[in-house]
Amino acid sequence: MSVLKINKLTKKFGKLTAVDQLDLTIKEGQVYGILGPNGSGKTTTLGMILEVVAPTSGSFEWFDGMKNVDARQKIGSILETPCFYSYLTAEQNLRIIAHIKKCSYDRIDPILKQVNLYERKTDKFKTYSLGMKQRLSLAAALLSDPPVLMLDEPTNGLDPEGIAEVRQLIRDIASKGKTIIMASHLLDEVQKVCTDFCILRKGVKLHEGSVNDILGETNVVEISSGNMDELMKAVQQYNGLEKIEQSNGSLKAYLKDGQSADHLNQFCFDQGIALKKLIPESKSLEQEFLKILKEND
Amino acid sequence: MIRAFKLEWLKLKHYRVFWILFGLYLLAQLIITNGGVFFLQWLESKEVEFDGISPSILPIYDFPDIWQNSVWLASFVKVLISVVVIVSINNELSYNTLRQNIIDGVSKREFLLSKFSLILFLSGICTLVLFGSGLVAGFMYSHVTDAKYIFDELEYLAAYFLQLVVFCLFAFSLGMIIKKAGFAIVIITLYSLVFEPIVTAILEFSPIANGFTKGLVKFFPIYSMEKLVGKAYESPFAKYFFQEIKDNIIWYEWLIAIGWAAIFMLFITWLLNKKDLKA
Repeated sequence: MSVLKINKLTKKFGKLTAVDQLDLTIKEGQVYGILGPNGSGKTTTLGMILEVVAPTSGSFEWFDGMKNVDARQKIGSILETPCFYSYLTAEQNLRIIAHIKKCSYDRIDPILKQVNLYERKTDKFKTYSLGMKQRLSLAAALLSDPPVLMLDEPTNGLDPEGIAEVRQLIRDIASKGKTIIMASHLLDEVQKVCTDFCILRKGVKLHEGSVNDILGETNVVEISSGNMDELMKAVQQYNGLEKIEQSNGSLKAYLKDGQSADHLNQFCFDQGIALKKLIPESKSLEQEFLKILKEND
Repeated sequence: MIRAFKLEWLKLKHYRVFWILFGLYLLAQLIITNGGVFFLQWLESKEVEFDGISPSILPIYDFPDIWQNSVWLASFVKVLISVVVIVSINNELSYNTLRQNIIDGVSKREFLLSKFSLILFLSGICTLVLFGSGLVAGFMYSHVTDAKYIFDELEYLAAYFLQLVVFCLFAFSLGMIIKKAGFAIVIITLYSLVFEPIVTAILEFSPIANGFTKGLVKFFPIYSMEKLVGKAYESPFAKYFFQEIKDNIIWYEWLIAIGWAAIFMLFITWLLNKKDLKA
């Protein structure tokens, strides 16, 4: 089942095209990252599919054609800034959310315990610290146990502990088979939690695919041994080698296609050299991201 | 509609500022409608006389005249009720909760309905309080208390209700386009008490006034809603001095006021659909 289908969605602010003919399909169970530098149209896209920004043209469809309002009630959203009624308490604010999402008030206490706000539930929102406000938006998003979670820069402004907590939470929720849509400019965040991603730049989609496809191993292996000169000489004889170079006290061996680290290890062993270090380099999203940006320049 | 009102109720039930402002309005309404007898006694103590008539014997609280009298007086303080509406709308915009509500699953129509239900609630309570205080004052001072007289001319209460609804919708529209609550309150006060009355007075009474301008003023928003209960210069008390007063509401006066209500509702709908709600 497709959770969201976006069709040629476009938003213009005057002369500026914030989102340009965007097509996207997000399926159930995906953890989908919308990746892009600041100002690339991520938040505008989320705004349009949540109907707070009016699209200039194009369309989108939730849950194979469910009414937008009903769909939004099934989506838990955490946007950049927590928005609540400052003169109401956490509990009173969540009652409003429960009413909107058509879920029972009974869930309010357990969810407040889950985000560690239960003791403060009768205090007004305006007395909360930023961290508490963010935890309350988390509680609001999870209140109705929604099948889809939407996050906009979820770790923005959090301390390292908070970042780790939120990432763990995203993985926990994803492991329950829920769909997560998140916008982020942090490459390693997307790499760590997402299954699929797309790259936006200036409102244009440059790339779309699964995170695993783009990652995986490269054909570069970092090696070292007790005698580096001997190793250098020996490896140069290896017929599966493309080239070799020195880097930071170890050697970087670029292998031909079809060759891998275990082949190289066997070769060295046969030459009577025991390797101290053997690290196949894996791709990082950062490299791929820069490569994709370059390709599209 | 009930769901929409409940949404509004959850927002306001625990909001002290709202209850204080609304309470102040009801108090102001009560004082201005029921304080008349004290005012007349005060006039008498100052030995003021109207054409040889002692002020305290004026039958201002007689049924059914009491309805038109109270409604005409209450109309003077209606600008206070707009403060309640503007504060409520302004909160939604300044806390960004309108955006949050929509993201959470409120449709724009439902949001409009929730605020409209608030307006109906406020206007309804005000009208009921006016009816209640009118009954009390009437039973205390009226020379006639037959049901036939008590329930006569209740259309003035309906006119008061409609006036408040239209005025609150006007405040709703202003609250949507003016970001600062204080500024919106100043604008609605100046517009309804100064600007429009001056313009309509010129069009109606000045030497340049003609048939066309006299017809035109009937379509101004504040003019049309005030015309329902009588303009400021159309005091129902003039009848005690044997002058002619406005003693009925003409059908098209209802229609123009309802027309403005519809225009404000359409304007707000258009605004909600067009506006980008940014974080």
